[in-house]
Amino acid sequence: MRSGDFKESYASLVVLTDSRWVWFWSAVLVATLVGAPFAVNAYLLSLVTLVLITVTGALGLNLLTGMTGLISLGHAGFLVLGAFAYAVVVVKYKFPSLAGFAAAAIVPALFSIAVGLPSLRLRGLYLAITTLAFSYIINNIILDASSITGGARGIAVQRPEFLGLDFSSDQAFALLCLFVAAVALFACLNIRRSRIGRAFMAIRDNDIAARTMGINLQWFKLYAFMTCAVMTGLAGALMGIYLSFVSVEGFPFLLSIEALAILIVGGLGSALGAVLGTLFVILLPEVVRILFGLIGGSLEAGLSTGVHEVKSIIYGVIIILFLRFEPRGLVGVWRDAKRLWVHWPLRY
Amino acid sequence: MGLIGDLLASGVAIGAIYGLIAMGFAVIYKSTGLVNFAQGELTMIVAYLAWTIASSVTGNVVVVVLGSIAGAVILGLAIERIIMRPMLGEPIFSSVLLTVALAVILRSSITLIWDAYPHALDLGVGRDVVHIGNVGMRGAQIATIVTLFAVMAGFYLFFRFSKIGVAMRAVAADDRTALLMGVSATQIHAIAWAASSVIAGIAGVLFAMIYDLSPAMFQLGLKAFPATILGGLDSVIGSGFGGVLVGIIENLAGGYIGSGTKDVAGFVLIIVILMVRPFGLFGEREIVRV
Repeated sequence: MRSGDFKESYASLVVLTDSRWVWFWSAVLVATLVGAPFAVNAYLLSLVTLVLITVTGALGLNLLTGMTGLISLGHAGFLVLGAFAYAVVVVKYKFPSLAGFAAAAIVPALFSIAVGLPSLRLRGLYLAITTLAFSYIINNIILDASSITGGARGIAVQRPEFLGLDFSSDQAFALLCLFVAAVALFACLNIRRSRIGRAFMAIRDNDIAARTMGINLQWFKLYAFMTCAVMTGLAGALMGIYLSFVSVEGFPFLLSIEALAILIVGGLGSALGAVLGTLFVILLPEVVRILFGLIGGSLEAGLSTGVHEVKSIIYGVIIILFLRFEPRGLVGVWRDAKRLWVHWPLRY
Repeated sequence: MGLIGDLLASGVAIGAIYGLIAMGFAVIYKSTGLVNFAQGELTMIVAYLAWTIASSVTGNVVVVVLGSIAGAVILGLAIERIIMRPMLGEPIFSSVLLTVALAVILRSSITLIWDAYPHALDLGVGRDVVHIGNVGMRGAQIATIVTLFAVMAGFYLFFRFSKIGVAMRAVAADDRTALLMGVSATQIHAIAWAASSVIAGIAGVLFAMIYDLSPAMFQLGLKAFPATILGGLDSVIGSGFGGVLVGIIENLAGGYIGSGTKDVAGFVLIIVILMVRPFGLFGEREIVRV
């Protein structure tokens, strides 16, 4: 029986995982996901694509809110910026898609400096309010600059094609989203075990103590804002392509709430949590819909007329329930389950 | 005097509504340390309640007013008891997110319970136009301004002289010491939620009388943020003045710069203020210890 898990060097302490089985199952998971687009039907495929895009966005917010502890209520602002940056560059100015993706990463990053700078002096609630203000200002700028962005009419977007690869089919696009999500996940996991990630967590736990230990608060807070904006911008661009239409209404304030809900449900500050939270939040409305379908027709009809409202209420209720009963989120449940599995029948 | 007079008059009127809502924010922040993101939704739900009462008993203003105040009190107490109280002792971050979730739930429930169309709330009063100089204002607009100053004066006296008001200030200053002095923090929180809900309700009903009821009314809450930041989150009276100021700035920006800027003028103001004074204009500077 294992009596403990001892690390003998710093490298083995920060390694991604020391278990061969984790690598094995991760490889199986990746293989399944690569194969999945060709095996499942169109509806499931679009759901998988949505999950992959949302994971990218949620990982971005996790860096900012989960790891660095800067609460953002303006996540939808970064998403809409990324989507419009891509659409304007590719559709309006006819640049190749790759340039569009670059713009979707760079434009939100530049704006994130604009929102990050005033935020350097703020903490907690004040920051949440400024980011909220930011997302409304962004929407207004986009609506006002209608000569570039099309204003309220929005821009129709085609599927991308670059490096000789054609992503116009649903399967290929799902694989592109999988690639981006996987890169984002690896980036998050690796940032976490680097000096930068430790600085982020130090700022979250106590910023003044972090500063006395030689962490440049200004630089690292801006850095967190920028990495968050880059990931979220890319997710926004993919979201725009997925919806095949980019408009301000396509990225409502509810998305910011949804992103926070994902982090809370999954477990703040953990990349695995962002993934689990996304699965939970995206799949929950589907499960509810199926359950209601089983119960009877009238409820389902009521659900389809007020689908947006019912979805919002569900998000609200799950945020409240998780905050109240499981503040560690699904990651906490997962860790408990793992411990139980390893140590059973002993308690620890 | 023509354009600027009209802009100022309607700015003060809408600003008075922002001010009332901002005071609601401040009352809750002062006693519980939370920013209640559901304030706009409280405003909206009480206004809808008033509309329901008004359409079932026509022409009786007193019934509508008493009914909606009772509704607001019950709503505030219920939220405090069912949702907020179990979170006592949890991190502030969680409780604030709870109010965000609450906001989303309330907003959607309104659309589900009532409908998504605008309605006029006609109580039979406040519709006639009164001329002051050469500026015309509706009765309800003037009533709003008067209400704001009455509520501000009421709160000043309440905090200054009443036992509960002093207890609230004590809880705000140091809840643990207040607890040791025999002040029940939960009771104070409950009173704060009820009071804030009532002020929000008053603002909502007045807004609905001047403009219309619509599911977009929750944005009033967002627009009152700049007001309460301007006045300082923990300054109830300051928030009232902040609201008037934001209303004026918003209307002037809308009138002289462009109608699009009207919606974001307040938000730009927030960012500017917070850059200069991160704790609001009249807010108390926070001293952080490691």
